[in-house]
Order: sequence, then structure tokens, then C-alpha cells
Amino acid sequence: MPSESSSSHVPGEIAVSVQHLGLTYTTTIDRRPTLKARVRTMGRGTKHTRVVRALDDIMMDVPYGSVLGIVGANGAGKSTLMRVISGILPPSQGRVEVYGKVSTLLALGVGFSPTLSGRQNVELGGLAAGMSRKEIAEHFEEIADFAELGDAIEAPMRTYSSGMFARLGFAVAVTVRPDILIVDEALSTGDAHFKEKSLNKIKELRSDARALILVSHGLGTIRDVCNEVAWLDKGKLIKRGEPNEVVDAYEKFLKVGKSAAIDEDI
Amino acid sequence: MAVEVYEPFRAGLPPLGKYWRSLWARRSFIAEYARSELREKHYDSVFGQVWLVLNPLLLSGVYFLLIVIIGGHSDKMRYGHLTACLFLFYFVSNTMTGGVKSITKGGKLILNTAFPRIMLPISATVVGIFRFLPTIFVFFVIRTVLGFPIGWAILWGIPVAMITAILALGLAVLISTINVYFRDIASFLPYFSRTWLYLSPILYEASALKHNLRQMETFNPLFPLLNSWSRAVVHAEVPRASDLLISLAWALGIFIIGTYFFLTRERDFAVRV
Repeated sequence: MPSESSSSHVPGEIAVSVQHLGLTYTTTIDRRPTLKARVRTMGRGTKHTRVVRALDDIMMDVPYGSVLGIVGANGAGKSTLMRVISGILPPSQGRVEVYGKVSTLLALGVGFSPTLSGRQNVELGGLAAGMSRKEIAEHFEEIADFAELGDAIEAPMRTYSSGMFARLGFAVAVTVRPDILIVDEALSTGDAHFKEKSLNKIKELRSDARALILVSHGLGTIRDVCNEVAWLDKGKLIKRGEPNEVVDAYEKFLKVGKSAAIDEDI
Repeated sequence: MAVEVYEPFRAGLPPLGKYWRSLWARRSFIAEYARSELREKHYDSVFGQVWLVLNPLLLSGVYFLLIVIIGGHSDKMRYGHLTACLFLFYFVSNTMTGGVKSITKGGKLILNTAFPRIMLPISATVVGIFRFLPTIFVFFVIRTVLGFPIGWAILWGIPVAMITAILALGLAVLISTINVYFRDIASFLPYFSRTWLYLSPILYEASALKHNLRQMETFNPLFPLLNSWSRAVVHAEVPRASDLLISLAWALGIFIIGTYFFLTRERDFAVRV
């Protein structure tokens, strides 16, 4: 398989190093903040923003040739951590070092413009992520092929089902051959066939000495493909280590026990 | 191998050298994004372009009628001034309208991709420039047909248009940031534009104003800009140096303030859109 990015990583070499990472941000309480609402509530002491401590003193390393799983309840800071590692959100404290090219899934902003076709979204998303026109053109066939969209690739993305959306996003993320791939819960909307295919792709990338970070609520998948698992809760790293051990602890915490519901999805 | 290090910003600003390099590396995104916007609104077709020109042209016809009725008399130079200035004004106002939502509609792209966000209002400005160009062409047809004076001084229109582009970019960057915090700015914009249109020397010439009204000049960057534009492209006269310098200072000032505001707020965008 051709691979233009520096694929010759030594397994065990550090890919991502997260050091004492903290992130605090202010976000709005109103769904759609307006000047009108501000003026109308003036003098009433209504709060319009709140400060979120999303990540607190996170330490972790991801070596090449491994898959790190991230588990945690909703709002634990999993996606935020992924955004910091991919350079979307700058940290408030600490430091993140990334040795290689990162590709995030659902990523490359694919699907940002519902009126444009899948092809245009892939092209624009790729350009925004810093790829060249040539690189995108080289990969396009493979992306369309992997996503199995057929002629729909030329249709506006507002006509896509959520599964089609997810397939295209995943196809883009894995086809550009990143050194480090971040998969954030995107596979859960695909059908069984596509899930199988994606898992195989993930395993293939792992054996190709790339680094993967997999954020998922599908604990079965996490046990299956990860070498290491980190459990986040309310922005703090609770536990990290051997997959079965961490997932067991997490399941106990959730008090759900081992049930079909959590093993099913990835 | 490439090593990326992400650390907290100093003084609220991202590292500017790195920011600029990553912006420059993505210049083809700006071109492609602007093109797809133009295509989406069919401005790439002949009829789309005709529509682009027809709208301000009809407006200038209506305003000319107004001037003749209220003022009682008028001449072709007056019509030339009105049309040229209206076209330049619409360049600024269209860029603002196109740019105000450039961040808030970036949604997924902003959430999931690391790139200099300022690319979005820049693309909106590029769209504004491409909408402006055909109107210049039409103006030159008009001025040829009406037999306006011709001279090298017309070329002063080029630096004036460039200063206008800087002003438009600065405004687009500024209001796209404000719109992240107050989503209804976009709805106030038409009132603002309309007011600005009447407060600028478009329907009248600056020299025709009473002394006390001329004070507006101090607060309106379009005053020196439209004066210079009208002198150059309508009258084929060299614009006043003071007008050029004042408008350049305004344009750079707004651009720098807008960009600074944008860059210090940019890290918020991914948690606010």
C-alpha cells in the first residue's frame, strides 16, 4: 500500500504527549446569544455565560503502534481532549506535543456545508486541513470507494443519511494516511457491514505502526482493539492502563454491569 | 518529523508567525471556498452576473430620479458620481453582509478542523471583490457612452479600490467576530448599511453640503474614500493626497483593530458556534 506520510515509525516511539493539560473556557448559556436578549435582561443580573473547567491536569502518552481507548460518561471532556490534541482548541494550562500528522474523524470538517456536494465538502475540508489540491485529487477515488456512496458523492450533503455522513467522514480520515488518527464516536451510526470494515481498517493502521486514539461508548470495541484505555470523568483522568481492567472499573462505576447494550456499539 | 506543540497563548494571541504560515499554506482554500460560494449563488453564470450588475444599476436609476425630482435639475456628471459611488458602497456593504455570518455558519469546519479561522471572513471579502468587478466594467461602459473626461488620473481608482478592499476586509473580520457573541447583529446590518448610505456623499457631492453637516466627514471613513473615487473615475482628476491618506489610515486602523479582536477571540469560536 502506498504511503507518503512518514509511515516508518518505530512502534513504542511517542506520538502524542499530553503534559499537565488543563482547559477552561467560557461558553454561553443561551442557545443563540443575542444583543436583544442582553439589552432586555439588563440590570436583572441574569447570567449569560458560564465557565467550564473541561480538562484538569491530564497526563498521557500515546506511542506509535498502539490504540488508546478513551471512555467516560457524557460531558467527561473526551471530545474536548481530542480537539486539543488536534490543535482546534489551544490549552489553558500545560502542553501537548504531537509528533506527526493528525487526522481527526468527522474531521477535515466534512459535511460543514449541507448545500455543497460530498465531493466539494471533501475538497474544501481537505484544503482547510492543509492538504494540497494534488493530495486531495490523488486520494479522492479511494475515499469515494471506501465510503461506498456511489453517485451520491455528487449530491448535496443535506440529502445524506447520518450513516452516509459517518461513512464519508471515516473514509476521509483513514484514507489520508495520518500518522495519528483520532476516531471520535463516529462509527456508531454506520451499519454492521461498515462497522466491520472500519474496525478492520483501524486494526490495519495499528499494525502499520500508526497511533490511534479511539473515543467510544462501545465498550466491546474498546476491549477488542485497544492496547490501553484511559477513563475520564468531569475533566479528570480517573484511571488508565490495561483495557479489561479499566473498562471493568468503568462499568462498575456506571453500575450497568456487562450488558448487551454497551457491547454492541463502537 | 513534524512536531506540533500546543501551549497556552501569550497575551491572548496565537503565535503570529506560525499563524501566518498556516494561513499562507491554505490560500487555495480561500480561492476554492470563494468560488463555491459564487457558484452556489450562480454568480459564475452570465445571467447571474447580469443580475449582480442590474441590481445596483436599477438602484442608481431610482436615486437619480429622486435627485431630479427633489433637486429640480441634474446633469450626467451627477449621474456618473451617483453610479460610481453606489457601486463602491455596495462593495463594502455586500462584503459586510456576506462576511457577518462567515464564522457562525462555519459550524462543523470550526468544530473539527484546525485552521486559521480568519480564512472565512477573507473568503467572504474575496466573494465581495468578485461581485464588485463586473460593476466596474459596467461603469466604464456608462462613462464611455456618456462621454466623461478621459485621462491617466482615472488609474487612481485602482489604489482607491484597494484601500476600499482593506476597509471591507477589516469590517468583515470585525463583525464576523461580533456576530459570534451577538447573533442578531446580522439582522441589524441592513439598517446600519442604509443609514451609512445616506450619511455618505453618494446621493450628493461632499462639496454641496452645508458647513455644519460637513463635520460628518470626520467620523465617516467613506467620505474621503468616495471623494477620491469620484474624482478619479468620474472626473478623471487626481484625488487629494489628504483624502487618500485619511482613508488609508481609516482602512488600516479598522483592519488592525478588527484583526486583533478576531485573533484574541478566535480560541472561543470552537466552543461558541
